[in-house]
Amino acid sequence: MNKTVNINLAGIFFHIDEDAYLKLQRYLEAIKRSFTDSQGRSEIIADIEARIAELFNERVQNDKQVIGIKQVDEVIAIMGQPEDYIVDDEIFEDEPSTTYTKKTTKSKKLFRDADNSYVGGVSSGLAHYFGIDTIWIRLAWIILIFGLGTGILLYILLWILVPEAKTTAEKITMTGEPVNITNIEKKIKDGFENVTDTVGNAAKNVTESVGAVAKNVGNSVSNAAKNADFKKQTSNIKSSSQTFFDALSNVIMFMVKLIAKFVGILLIFIGAVALIALIIGLLSVGAVDIIHIPGLDLVDIANTGNTPIWLVSLLSFFAIGIPFFFLFYLGLKILITNLKSIGNVAKFTLLGLWLLSVIALVVVGIRQASEHAFEESYVEKAELPITATDTLMVKMTGSDSFHTSYYRNNGFKIRHNEDGEKIIYSTDIDIRVKSTTDDVAKIVIEKRADGSDFEIALNRAKKINYNYTFNNNTLFLNDYLTTDTRNKFSDQKVDIYLYLPEGMAVYFNNSTQQFLSYYKNNNSLVSRESTNHYLQINADDVTCLDCPKEDFEVDIDTPELKIDNNSLEINTDENNVKIDENGVKAKSESVRVNISSNGIEIESEN
Amino acid sequence: MKIENTKAQMRKGVLEFCILSVLKDEDAYVAEILDTLKNAKLLVVEGTIYPLLTRLKNAGLLNYRWEESTSGPPRKYYGLTETGKLFLKELNTTWSELHNAVTIVTTQKTPKNE
Repeated sequence: MNKTVNINLAGIFFHIDEDAYLKLQRYLEAIKRSFTDSQGRSEIIADIEARIAELFNERVQNDKQVIGIKQVDEVIAIMGQPEDYIVDDEIFEDEPSTTYTKKTTKSKKLFRDADNSYVGGVSSGLAHYFGIDTIWIRLAWIILIFGLGTGILLYILLWILVPEAKTTAEKITMTGEPVNITNIEKKIKDGFENVTDTVGNAAKNVTESVGAVAKNVGNSVSNAAKNADFKKQTSNIKSSSQTFFDALSNVIMFMVKLIAKFVGILLIFIGAVALIALIIGLLSVGAVDIIHIPGLDLVDIANTGNTPIWLVSLLSFFAIGIPFFFLFYLGLKILITNLKSIGNVAKFTLLGLWLLSVIALVVVGIRQASEHAFEESYVEKAELPITATDTLMVKMTGSDSFHTSYYRNNGFKIRHNEDGEKIIYSTDIDIRVKSTTDDVAKIVIEKRADGSDFEIALNRAKKINYNYTFNNNTLFLNDYLTTDTRNKFSDQKVDIYLYLPEGMAVYFNNSTQQFLSYYKNNNSLVSRESTNHYLQINADDVTCLDCPKEDFEVDIDTPELKIDNNSLEINTDENNVKIDENGVKAKSESVRVNISSNGIEIESEN
Repeated sequence: MKIENTKAQMRKGVLEFCILSVLKDEDAYVAEILDTLKNAKLLVVEGTIYPLLTRLKNAGLLNYRWEESTSGPPRKYYGLTETGKLFLKELNTTWSELHNAVTIVTTQKTPKNE
């Protein structure tokens, strides 16, 4: 039992078995592909369909009979395989083109030349296409292969996408005119000349026709026979104007094609560059495990989510690379008309792979972000053996056991400890000073870290190594913290709280400046500006013990008393004193004193 | 070099000439042209003729008219245009020249041995 389909072939109705129908459809599709639009594809296909309808018609006795796979096979045997339809256009190309209303401009196509191949015939095909010697293309491949193997990928892509020249027609198309500047120029010129010719001809035809028509109209009353001529001439006008518009549309099509080719080259270029860059990126990340490129372990340490690096890079490669591959493919498709399709399966696989990669990347991103969802701190407290009457000195110390700093990152560096093991090194340390009513000074070290839950965060916080030393009333604070690389970098930081008894004097060395807050605030009594001074701790502020007294300006201006930077003047009812740059003048009811550059004058009434 | 390719090319070269010749005296539709060509063993499969007909028509050598058929779809009757006739005449001359030339070359006894 078989399912049947109803088809309309050239206006005739047929019942056809489903499998036979599919075979016929594939056959017609294949034929369609062997023609281009400029050859009049739709017309040829219509003719072929009509002939097939005729052949079917001969094979069915009545309306009820169904066409099966046998009849389709017979018809295909009569009509021939798709290759048989191909006409070598070049054979006919040198015909005088003046009689042609439409010039079939056929450029050469890119095929793989299997006859002259080492691997897949891509090189010799390209050589034919560009009209240069194969050796140069091969050399280019070798250079590209050394360029991190991108040549291999490009070669395989072309091998898959470019069809092999099998039939004679294809071989001739392959070795046609080379695609180079001269030929492109020639083609453009030809295109223009073609148009000017056609336009000129059309114009000539129109004028001739109009003249003839005018003559005809004059004669038509007396001569009936001329009427037929008249009709002929009108149709002539029509056809010449048609020719003109045909030519115009040809030129427009030509221009559109030219622009499309340019866009195609651009797309190929962008796609190829992006793909090559991505592959180089992927290969270098992949090589990390083998050759240990310094600095890339930074990525590993920041990667708190513990997703394997290779997986992330592979996902990124697919997520970014696949769109660029399609761009590349599109460009190739525009440029090379006979390009093989990569097939729907491949297309949908790539699309699926892309979607999966994007989703996976989002998931990884969320995981990475959730690693910082919780912050936990671990607190260590200690008393400092110092009393309120002593002066506390605070200094920062670095470490000389850590050498070879590889990279500086805002958050952390990787260094080697004494045993040569890698450790995470960070300078994220804050010092805060508070007052206390206790008699003894206290130091509180708060170690903080992020994690995806409280426990992980607390564990990471505990694993921070931070040290200080205290002797001779001097507190040496390390200016760095360290932790094992296994703990990953997850915002590890250390806050140091110094609780100092009220009335105690403290001196912050210059080295502490960077670790103090910029301005005095609720968290800390001591800020950057108060380093390098002896400070006395009060309940909620500090007093500077050795700061220079501040200048103050006085400006009093009343009738009785005038004081400014330059002079002093006191006026009472009976007495006045004036001191300025001229000297000292004092006057009372009974005495006047004047000290100036002229000497001392004293006048008294008595 | 495959013999089939050479044969096919030889045949294709004269095919246009033959199509025009078939239409020399009267118009014909595709099946009729095909029958003549197939009887003469010039054509193995029918497919080849369609692009050729379209090309000849586009070149202005042929024109066609539609005619209803009692036993199938409407038929395209092809005929020669004035240009087509001139074209054919010229091809005829070329062909007889070529025929002569080929005959002379292929039947000639190697003169040096005589």
